[in-house]
Amino acid sequence: MSACSAVDNASSDESDAGGGDTTEPITIGVSLPLTGDFSEPGKGVQRGYEAWAKIVNDSGGLLGRQVELKVLDDQSNADRVVADYESLIAQDEVDLVFGPFSTRLVVPSARVAKEYGMLFVEPAGAAAEVFEQGFDNLFYAAPAVANDHYNYLAEHILAMPEGQRPKTVAYAAMDDPFAQGTAYGLKEKLEAGGIRTVADEVYPPNTTDFSSIAAKIADAKADMLVGGSQYQDAVNLIVALQQLDYQPKMAAFSTAPTNPEFSKAIGEKTEGILSPTGYTTKADYPSNVEFVEKYTAQFGNPPSEDEANAYTTGQVVAAAVEAVGCAEQGDCQQRLIDWLRDNTVETVVGPLSWDEVGRPEAAHLIQQYVDGEIQIVLPEDQKEADFLFPKPAW
Amino acid sequence: MTSPQLVFQSLVLGVLLGGLYALLAAGLTLYFGVMRVVMIAHSAFLILAAYLAWWFNDRTGLDPLLSLALTVPLFFVAGVLMQRLLIRRLSPVTLTMMSVLLTFAVALVIEGLLGYVFSGTQRRIQLGYSGSSLELFGARVAVVKLIAFGLAAAALLGLYLLLKRSRLGQALRATIQHRDAAALVGIDTDRVAGYGFGLGLATAAVGGTALALDSTIYPSLHWHWIGPLMAIIVVGGLGSIPGAAIAAMALGILQSLLQLEMGTTWAQTVFYVALFATLMVRPQGFFGGRLAQRF
Repeated sequence: MSACSAVDNASSDESDAGGGDTTEPITIGVSLPLTGDFSEPGKGVQRGYEAWAKIVNDSGGLLGRQVELKVLDDQSNADRVVADYESLIAQDEVDLVFGPFSTRLVVPSARVAKEYGMLFVEPAGAAAEVFEQGFDNLFYAAPAVANDHYNYLAEHILAMPEGQRPKTVAYAAMDDPFAQGTAYGLKEKLEAGGIRTVADEVYPPNTTDFSSIAAKIADAKADMLVGGSQYQDAVNLIVALQQLDYQPKMAAFSTAPTNPEFSKAIGEKTEGILSPTGYTTKADYPSNVEFVEKYTAQFGNPPSEDEANAYTTGQVVAAAVEAVGCAEQGDCQQRLIDWLRDNTVETVVGPLSWDEVGRPEAAHLIQQYVDGEIQIVLPEDQKEADFLFPKPAW
Repeated sequence: MTSPQLVFQSLVLGVLLGGLYALLAAGLTLYFGVMRVVMIAHSAFLILAAYLAWWFNDRTGLDPLLSLALTVPLFFVAGVLMQRLLIRRLSPVTLTMMSVLLTFAVALVIEGLLGYVFSGTQRRIQLGYSGSSLELFGARVAVVKLIAFGLAAAALLGLYLLLKRSRLGQALRATIQHRDAAALVGIDTDRVAGYGFGLGLATAAVGGTALALDSTIYPSLHWHWIGPLMAIIVVGGLGSIPGAAIAAMALGILQSLLQLEMGTTWAQTVFYVALFATLMVRPQGFFGGRLAQRF
């Protein structure tokens, strides 16, 4: 069928500059939370996808065809995301789909993709539950799932001499599968290593006042604080803790510290704060060097993690398409899925391969604010600065 | 289990939180009192004021509190205009219901404009004293929360005195009590309603600025506020400013204390539990007396 329309197009007014076997573009359907609770990361993912499409198109396209993104806004709403993917696949008949942002939107949309037998590579569903649904079409395009984000930190702490390492930990996590997954992944490992949990607070995503949570944590006087957080909650919690003059020896938050706005919000009091990250602009993988340079040229500032995960999604799908030699609905999708199951893809976050349910088999780096700058401190062989312990007062 | 120290700290935090709630809810109850308008956009105006405070600080480097000198008059005028140009056109018969739809639309417009102008990036005013606190009998009182509380107290006291002592206040109260009778004794109730709306929005300017001192803001934040604020004014008695203040304080403290045993998720439901209980037991509200009769 696509061959027929290709002939139609060649004889019509298409003036594609791609040369050779120019045909109609490969369309890729995406639904993203461009408004609502996840609009901030949603827009980041959109920029990542756009950067990928531009770089691919500038270098001659995919299978010699230009790629075209069709992006819908699901308003951070799980019902909308389902309707969006239904219409992208069934009505618009897109050739490929990319995943949305956030576990809560990834799970329902992956279900739609599975019904239609579509390959589903996604940039943002890191929570354990994504991989417990029996999706055989899903691949998470990042180095590690949520529960493993803090792995290097857990190893580091448990390797510290008994007398030095933190003895008590307070956990605070947003009621969100991803955010909780990161904190509880670490909690499990530290508890198994004999480090006591003295506070464990869970708060809903719409929490605006963190002073009471902070009061409980400060009262517990934990040596260490672990946040399973998105952006604004981590910032609000940190300031609330500062107001109560709680001074942990170690403080780690997922997501927020890697956001460029973070140090603007917290001021000079970021020193020593830790964060796991799946991406750094400084990684010297060849495609990353190109990505950072071209992304910066296109958008005026370097990419952050959301953009990189989206770009990685594009790279993963592109690798499968180039290897299998097709990109359309139907049998081709299963061949793309099968190929990804058995192969490793070079991406901006390093080489990625997946287990049978789509979990990536790598790990997150641990970054820390050292001398006012966020730098990699773990693992040892990739560090840019020494691990700072205990954390200076904030 | 829970140390007395922590209970006291939570109580202090609850009082501070209650003060902020009272300020944020005051305007909301005023619109209803004067005009029977359910102003869904009130919290959107709060966030707008918060953004203006952030923007002012970002551009000038001056303390965001100074932005009040601009935003309070600006919001007052905007309120008068909004009442004259939009609210007044609604039919009196369906005013309450239609005002929900109209102000819902206004809220969406404000949210959209904020996103367009300032982007969806989450912002926070970075103050030198944002992490500072004072000690009070072993509890910590954050300076920014104290300032917000002071603003709330000053704004509410000002509003109360205005309503009780000035001619405009008398006219407003007359309009609230009986619009037709007020018109009969020569009060230009339309104009008074406009000023009432302006006053409501002026409190939003103060409230938004107070909010911006101690929280991270983003365009869609107002949806998280409108629910609790609506609950507060219903519990307090629609149209009653002291009622709103007392209900806000009670719910703020209750939320803060419940948090100790029940955690954040359940503590937040206190607003809705109170709302349902009020509607079942005393639909006119607990503190306001008969609908909007007292200040």
